[in-house]
Amino acid sequence: MAAITTTAGRRAIPWGWIFGLGIPALVLARIYYLVNVVEVRDYAFFIGAMVQSLQLGSLYALIALGYTMVYGIIRLINFAHGEVFMVGAFISYFLFSGAPFALPWALLWSAVLAWGVAFILNLWRGSMTHPTVIAGGLVAFAALTFLLSTFQVNWVAALLLSMLFTGVLGVVIDRVAYRPLRGAPRISLLITAIAVSFLLQNTGLIVFTRNQTPFRPETDWTAFLQFDVLGGTVYTSRLMFLIPILTAVLVTALTLFVTRTRLGKAMRASAQDAETAQMMGINVNRVIATTFLLGSMLAAAGGFLWGLNFGSLNQPAVMGILPGIKAFAAAVIGGIGSLPGAVIGGLLLGFLENFMTALFPRQGDFPGLTEFKDTFAFALLIVVLLVRPSGIVGEDLSEKV
Amino acid sequence: MSDRETLLDMRQVTTHYGPIRVLHNVDMQIYPGEMVCLLGGNASGKSTTLKTILGIVRVSEGEMYFRGERADTLTTAERIERGMAVVPENRRIFPKMTVRENLEMGSYLRNDRKGIREDMDYVISLFPRIGERLNQMGGTMSGGEQQMLAMGRALMSRPKLILMDEPSMGLAPLFVEKIFEIIKTVNDEGISVFVVEQNANVALSVADRGYVLQTGEVVLSGPAQELLANEDMKKAYLGDV
Repeated sequence: MAAITTTAGRRAIPWGWIFGLGIPALVLARIYYLVNVVEVRDYAFFIGAMVQSLQLGSLYALIALGYTMVYGIIRLINFAHGEVFMVGAFISYFLFSGAPFALPWALLWSAVLAWGVAFILNLWRGSMTHPTVIAGGLVAFAALTFLLSTFQVNWVAALLLSMLFTGVLGVVIDRVAYRPLRGAPRISLLITAIAVSFLLQNTGLIVFTRNQTPFRPETDWTAFLQFDVLGGTVYTSRLMFLIPILTAVLVTALTLFVTRTRLGKAMRASAQDAETAQMMGINVNRVIATTFLLGSMLAAAGGFLWGLNFGSLNQPAVMGILPGIKAFAAAVIGGIGSLPGAVIGGLLLGFLENFMTALFPRQGDFPGLTEFKDTFAFALLIVVLLVRPSGIVGEDLSEKV
Repeated sequence: MSDRETLLDMRQVTTHYGPIRVLHNVDMQIYPGEMVCLLGGNASGKSTTLKTILGIVRVSEGEMYFRGERADTLTTAERIERGMAVVPENRRIFPKMTVRENLEMGSYLRNDRKGIREDMDYVISLFPRIGERLNQMGGTMSGGEQQMLAMGRALMSRPKLILMDEPSMGLAPLFVEKIFEIIKTVNDEGISVFVVEQNANVALSVADRGYVLQTGEVVLSGPAQELLANEDMKKAYLGDV
């Protein structure tokens, strides 16, 4: 009898089980080996690594959400998102540190952001010359100039204001750079995104600083913390609570927004089928502006927490690049376009980065994997793209017509 | 009929896609409570007519009035607020939203919660199958159920005029008849219906009047019975022997 092979007859390889059980088993075996056989680490060290992973993973998740939301709705990989994250971090820095922000630059930022506020109001009032819109823009301009050039606020206010300003900046970017290109080939949009990214990097160099900047707001949350567990001591800081909890709050708020509110539902509808959404009377441009607002707000929160976590900000031209592309990798790994995917991808990346270095420490002639820390994200990205191109929780891409 | 007030009045409407003219001097009227069908072959401009009425495609020459008001300058959202609703081609249900959320999208521009709830109940009473599946994802429904859902979604805006694009497309013949029964039911409630359809037989058997479109021009129009009896019509579209 001739052998007939069909895809239906062949068993699908249960990658989910292999990865889901196999990898944790390997990790546990390796930990056991390091602790009990060669005795170079104690269990507390790995608890510490877990805590760190959760912190870093939360930060990646916050940034990745912005990539995935924008991609979901206009199919654009927003390469400027890493720079939006950078701007968010620096704005919060200038707000809490009271460092001098030269008046001309404060005026420039205020003008851009005030125009953004007016534009957002116009989306609801229907005209840029509506009295409410003009008044809103002027008030925003005055308040921003005052705030940026002279005012010093505590870290909570700095975080919230930075989220607000950066959110508005996201809307301005969409309106100025991306909206004129709706309907243009996707490659044009992509190149524009890269241009915006360079623009923000260099504006940052001129306006913010050219140096690495210490990031130390007055808060107890950065205080050191140590506790004994499993016969060892974990050295960490109170940020182990602040970062994951704040991330969870923001992610929950975002989830409630897209599942419970009218605008949030309109956002999902537009992501699934923009033309039909328009036929229901949904103002798709307003929905896209909201997407940029929310994505950029999350990036700003990520930027602030990033500063807290590392105690300093890299100089503006480079700060956004690596976190940006890693978070982009996280979004693709989780399944781009999917909100839970971005969170899962971000956390996974945080764990991967910390555990690969923790599991393979310097040992004799072996130098350890610390030097290769930044490559893991992209190695995982390649593996995921080979095995499951739609990402971990992503929908089957072949479904899209 | 011409002394009655029109619901929708298209006067010498011409539209373009870029430099290409699609509709040419189309005159078309829909009166309150009427069911009008627009027939024609492929690429005759049927869907474009519907998109023009809805404001997705702009009128380049001519005028359009909806409920006595100049409408060709209004945005899509404004036209929907004034009483238009659409059942798009291929139904276009939001696949990853629940049936309930799909219905809510139909009432997106409304703010009267009580009225929305009443209309939700009304849609469910009209299509009990939808009521049973409120929490199911739209994409998991069968073609017929999706057609009902698309119809229900349109009704959620409490429209004066429902625009339907090829409701019979991709459905089994038995279901096509059922869908047109449903359309008739909705029409009997006093809501005007404008159906774009290739299946001329079924459409004319329930419609009051019909227009026939050929390469963007109205070549024939009249009461449905007359069109059914028309010799040219029989040869070209009805496929009768």
